[in-house]
Amino acid sequence: MTYRELLAKDSFWMKDTPDIPIVLSSRIRLARNIADNPFPHVMTHDDAEKIEAQISGVLDGFTAEGEKLVYIPLKMLIPVEKKVLIEKHLVSPGFNETEYARGLALSESHKIAVMVNEEDHLRVQVLMPGNSLREAWHLAGLVDDHLEAHLDIAYKEKIGYLTTCPTNVGTGLRVSVMVHLPALVLTNQVQQVLGALTSLGLAVRGLYGEGSRPFGNIFQISNQVTLGKSEEDTLTHLDAVTRQLMEREVQMREVIRKESPLIVEDKVWRARGTLENVRILETEEIYSLLSEDRLGIDMGILSRVSAGFVSVLINSMQGCLQYNLNKQLDAYHINAERANFVRGIYHHKMSENVN
Amino acid sequence: MLCQNCQQREAVVHLTKIINGQAAQLHLCQECAQKAPGTGFNLYPGMVSDFLQALFGVNPAGQYDQTIVDSQPGKCPGCGRTFSQIQQAGKMGCSKCYDEFEPQMEMLLRRIHGRGMHVGKVPVRRGASFRNKQEIVKLKEQLLELVKAEKFEEAAILRDRIKEMENTVGGESK
Repeated sequence: MTYRELLAKDSFWMKDTPDIPIVLSSRIRLARNIADNPFPHVMTHDDAEKIEAQISGVLDGFTAEGEKLVYIPLKMLIPVEKKVLIEKHLVSPGFNETEYARGLALSESHKIAVMVNEEDHLRVQVLMPGNSLREAWHLAGLVDDHLEAHLDIAYKEKIGYLTTCPTNVGTGLRVSVMVHLPALVLTNQVQQVLGALTSLGLAVRGLYGEGSRPFGNIFQISNQVTLGKSEEDTLTHLDAVTRQLMEREVQMREVIRKESPLIVEDKVWRARGTLENVRILETEEIYSLLSEDRLGIDMGILSRVSAGFVSVLINSMQGCLQYNLNKQLDAYHINAERANFVRGIYHHKMSENVN
Repeated sequence: MLCQNCQQREAVVHLTKIINGQAAQLHLCQECAQKAPGTGFNLYPGMVSDFLQALFGVNPAGQYDQTIVDSQPGKCPGCGRTFSQIQQAGKMGCSKCYDEFEPQMEMLLRRIHGRGMHVGKVPVRRGASFRNKQEIVKLKEQLLELVKAEKFEEAAILRDRIKEMENTVGGESK
C-alpha cells in the first residue's frame, strides 16, 4: 500500500455508528518515554535520530489484532499529507512544526497511530468510532506491552510512567470521547452541564483539542488527572460521565420534539436544503449545517445519507478536500469544491431514495 | 517579616528572582505581590503555560498561592538541566530529572493531580519485584499490629517471612 492509499482512506473512527448517535468517537492515548534519554524538546539531532531508529525498529511491522503498523517518517510526507494527518486526528496539530526525526507508526485502518518524538518519545493513540473506550484501551494495552518488552520505558515506582510534562505523569493515560450535543446547545444547557464536568476533574475542548472552539456542537471530554488514579478508574469515570451526557442529550431531544416540533423540523430541513443545493460553503458553516442535519437524522425527521456525519465533516476540511481531489486550491475554490463534495453526497442519497 | 514594598502588612509571598545569575529575594504581602510588575509568573497567570499555573497558580477561590519554592542550583546528571530551566519550559529534561528534583516534583505533582503516588499499570519487567515490595509494606504494618497486641510468637513467624521475602526481592527494598 502506498502512502497515498494509506492516508487518503477514511479512518476507521470516522465510520458512522447509527446505534450510538451521540458519542462520535473514543480515544486512548498513552505517553511513554525511553529511560535515561533526553526528552524530545531537549534532544540533539543525533539523540533524536537514535531514538527514532530504535522505536521505529520496534514498531514497524508489529501487528496487534490484525492491525499492522507501518512506520512513516514525517520527512517523507508532502505538506498536504501532514494536514490530512492532523485533520484525521492521527497526529497532534503541532506535530509537523519540525520534521526532524519525527514520525508516525500507523495501522491500516488508522485505529492505531503512534507518534514518535512528539512531546514524549512515544505517544500511543487508539481511535475508535462510537462509544468504545474499552476496546480502544485493550488495543492500546497490546501496543504498550509490545513497546515495554523491547524498550526500557521510563518508570518510577512511586510516580509511575515518566513524561515530559508533569501533567501526564503516572499512568500517562488520556482517555477522551467526542460527543455531539446539539440539543443541549439549543436549549442553552451545555454550559451548565459541561461546566460541571470541570469540577469532576475532566477537561472539555473543541473538535481539534486544546484551544479549539466547539464548532458543530462537537465537544471532546477527557480526564486531567493521571497520577493516583488507576487506568481502570479513569476509564470507568469517563464512561459513567459519557453515559450521563448521552442521557441528558436524549432527554433534551425529547423535550424539543414535544415542545417545539415545528421549530426543530424547520431547522433541520433548512440545513438539508442547503446541503443539497449549496454552491459555496465555508468551514464554519459546514460544521453547523452538518450538525443540524445529523440531529434531523437522529430524530428520524430526515433520511440517512450515503456517508456518515464525521466522514463528511473530516473529508470537507481543507487538507482532505485537496488531497482527495489531488489538486491545490485557493480559499475561494476550496469553498466551491467543498460545496460540490457535499452536494454530491446529498444527491447520491436522493437518487437512492427514489429507487 | 514585613512586606518590603508597603512596610505595613506581613510578607507572605517570597520570591526568588534570578537576574543575570544573581539571586534576589523579595518578600511581599499578598496585595503588593499581586500589583507588583514583573515579580513573578504567578502574578500573570494568563501568560504562562498550564504547567506553571498549576505549580504557582491560582487556587479555586481565586487566591494566589503564597509561597514559592526557591530555585535549586543543582543540575540533573542526565540532561544537565536546572530546576529553574524546567520551570521555565514547563517540561522535564529527561527521566532522571524526576530523581534529581524529587522533593520539588513531589509537591508539584500533588498540586497538579491532587495525589502523589502512582496507582495502576506496572511494567511487566518490574512488576514482580514491585508487587512484592507492596506486599512487604503491608506485612510490616501487620507485624507492628501483632507486636502491639503482644502476640510475639505470631509476630516472630511473620518477621521471618518478611525477611525471606526481602531476600528474594534481591535486596531491592530499602
